[in-house]
Amino acid sequence: MKPFVLMIEDDPQIRRFLRAALAAEDYQFHEAFTAEEGIAQAAARQPDLVLLDLGLPDRDGLEVIRGIRQWSQMPIVVLSARGQEKDKIAALDLGADDYVAKPFAVGELLARIRAALRRSARLATDGADTVIRFGDVQADFEKRSITVRGEEVHLTPNEFKLLQVLIKHAGRVVTQRQLLNEVWGPQHTEQSQYLRVYVAQLRRKLERDPARPRHLQTEPGVGYRLSLDHTDADS
Amino acid sequence: MADTTELQIRDGSPADLAEAAELKATRSGSRASWREFAAAVIIVGFATLIALALRPYLAATNLAMVYLLGVVAVATRCNRPASVMASFLSVAAFDFFCVPPYLTLQVSEYEYLITFAGMLVVALVISAQTSRIRAQAARAVERESRTQALYRLSRRLSTKTRVFDTALAAAEVAEEVFGAPVTIFLPEEGRISFRKRTSDQLLISTAEEKIAQQVFDRGRKAGKGMENFPEAAATYVPLKGAGRMVGVLAILPGTHGQALHDDQHHLLDLFANQTALAIERTQSQNAAADARMQMETEEMRSSLLSAVSHDLRTPLASITGAASTLRSQGEKLEPAVRDELLESISEEALRLSRLVGNLLDMTRLESGMELRRDLYPLEEIVGAALQRMEPQLAGREVTATVPEDLPLVNVDDVLLGQVLVNLLENAAKYSPPGSAIEIAATATPAAVQLEVRDHGRGFAEGEEKRLFEKFYRGKSEGVRGAGLGLAICRAIVMAHRGTIEALHRDGGGAIFRIRLPLDGRPL
Repeated sequence: MKPFVLMIEDDPQIRRFLRAALAAEDYQFHEAFTAEEGIAQAAARQPDLVLLDLGLPDRDGLEVIRGIRQWSQMPIVVLSARGQEKDKIAALDLGADDYVAKPFAVGELLARIRAALRRSARLATDGADTVIRFGDVQADFEKRSITVRGEEVHLTPNEFKLLQVLIKHAGRVVTQRQLLNEVWGPQHTEQSQYLRVYVAQLRRKLERDPARPRHLQTEPGVGYRLSLDHTDADS
Repeated sequence: MADTTELQIRDGSPADLAEAAELKATRSGSRASWREFAAAVIIVGFATLIALALRPYLAATNLAMVYLLGVVAVATRCNRPASVMASFLSVAAFDFFCVPPYLTLQVSEYEYLITFAGMLVVALVISAQTSRIRAQAARAVERESRTQALYRLSRRLSTKTRVFDTALAAAEVAEEVFGAPVTIFLPEEGRISFRKRTSDQLLISTAEEKIAQQVFDRGRKAGKGMENFPEAAATYVPLKGAGRMVGVLAILPGTHGQALHDDQHHLLDLFANQTALAIERTQSQNAAADARMQMETEEMRSSLLSAVSHDLRTPLASITGAASTLRSQGEKLEPAVRDELLESISEEALRLSRLVGNLLDMTRLESGMELRRDLYPLEEIVGAALQRMEPQLAGREVTATVPEDLPLVNVDDVLLGQVLVNLLENAAKYSPPGSAIEIAATATPAAVQLEVRDHGRGFAEGEEKRLFEKFYRGKSEGVRGAGLGLAICRAIVMAHRGTIEALHRDGGGAIFRIRLPLDGRPL
């Protein structure tokens, strides 16, 4: 079945090329121009994914996320302006799945949409793989063993938990607050320094060149993203 | 310079000063007269004791000399009325104790009347002359201290470049000179402002605020010791500049609450005059500086506008041209040509996007944007920048050397990342495709140093500083850019209190070196 995308965007030119791109990828779609209409259409049409512009004429796009998240976990990919890190974090913390900063290339947007759809399909079937491979790394959560290029690597419990959370959200940005909350608990959401140190340690153990990470990527000012499919681009 | 002339005009009149000194002499006469009269009586009594001791051995007329010496002593020490009194008292005592019959004022021989007359005249002349000399000396001392006070004032005021600092310095000097709390009020939009005052020492009631305002409006002194509002706690002196009122000086006279003396008032007027002129001078200097800055800003704005409009139009022209070609002749074009046009559209659009991004960054930085600092591993910031630059660095060998034990840096990660992206963009633009780029970080006890090195042609000798100026473009040919990237780098690094410099690399190429202080203190 063709995935159904709800596009909430007020700018006609952007809608125009999104339409073209989505049609070329064989997606079905519907367009909404305002926040109000977007929330209503999301409820009425139950799309597989929402593509949301944050700058809408009637209300803040963040309210659309808040509205939808009250009753649905459908993936939401946000279109935001560059440099608006605060908006991005707010959108992600409210439950958006990912964001693409304008101006963006269509290829990048489609990749994010695909990743979000994959994640939601995985959640729906509840079939989280117990063995995950990315780059040189193989993570087996059942055996709690991590190997890099076939060699067992020892992770501390917190490092392991951090990797687990990143893998759970693989492909999407996870804000620092979300990571701290999921790994260390809700009392520690402000201690982002710890998080950075742990990510740095994890990179040293898993990445070939920790200063040029292939998988444990930083989204400056926002959070981290674990990219599983970077290997394809590499080789 | 202006101050010296002012000083000469304002306090150059010796007549003023002499008058003031005279006033002081009279004033001190009325104030401490009982003491001086007592001293006169004691000295005359002492002369009488000596005269009585000498009476058996000397003729009476010679004893008169003892009394004259007493009058001289009184005249040098006491004021005029006291020495006049001493003169009369001496003649009486001489008659009473030294002229027979003793202990009466009667005179046995009338020739003594001549002695009395001569003695009185000499005594009065002595006291008059001595008083004059004393007054002159006092005047000289007074003039000296006054000149010194005014000189001190003018010297302090001449170094100030801000109106408030000028007022503050004037109030300080006035407090030293008058030994009383002084506050200067400055106006704000035509009204005396109680926010713009030099000290909070004078706790002024609402009623007195009105007095200050009235003094400001009418330009006449009021308050304690004045005709208007004598019941006020403080004396208010208008600060009248050459053109308009610039403020009000308030002085809370004497710790015991007595009003200022006349000569102090006179000095206060001179003070107020000089302060007013200094404030006015500062104001006009500031206005001139503001005007100059405004002009420079306008100039910058117009050069910015011309640079930006050129840089915006060029890619727009390419995009419009390519797109319209595709639309009108798309079908007739070879597929390869179509691809080329499409590529140029997306490339030029990216270039436009970068330019707009840079302009926005610059504007935000210049409007004093706040840093969102936290402790970060430098490695992470380097990694994120390299990731963002990946498409532009394709085909190059890029190495990043960040030691594991490098201390965390306290920075705004997004902004420092932008610095790195700009430096990498620069390196990619100014070095041949495929040549290597290195990033290297090192730490010293006080700072973390980060270098971006390329193997390009580098920059011309003498360009080291200019490279970081806004809209300055390196002298290399065939490279396009608005000349904002490095200016943004400098603005960001400076906001972090760090330094950035461009160095020549041995064997060709450029090195951009950033140093960030570890303790947040400027390097």
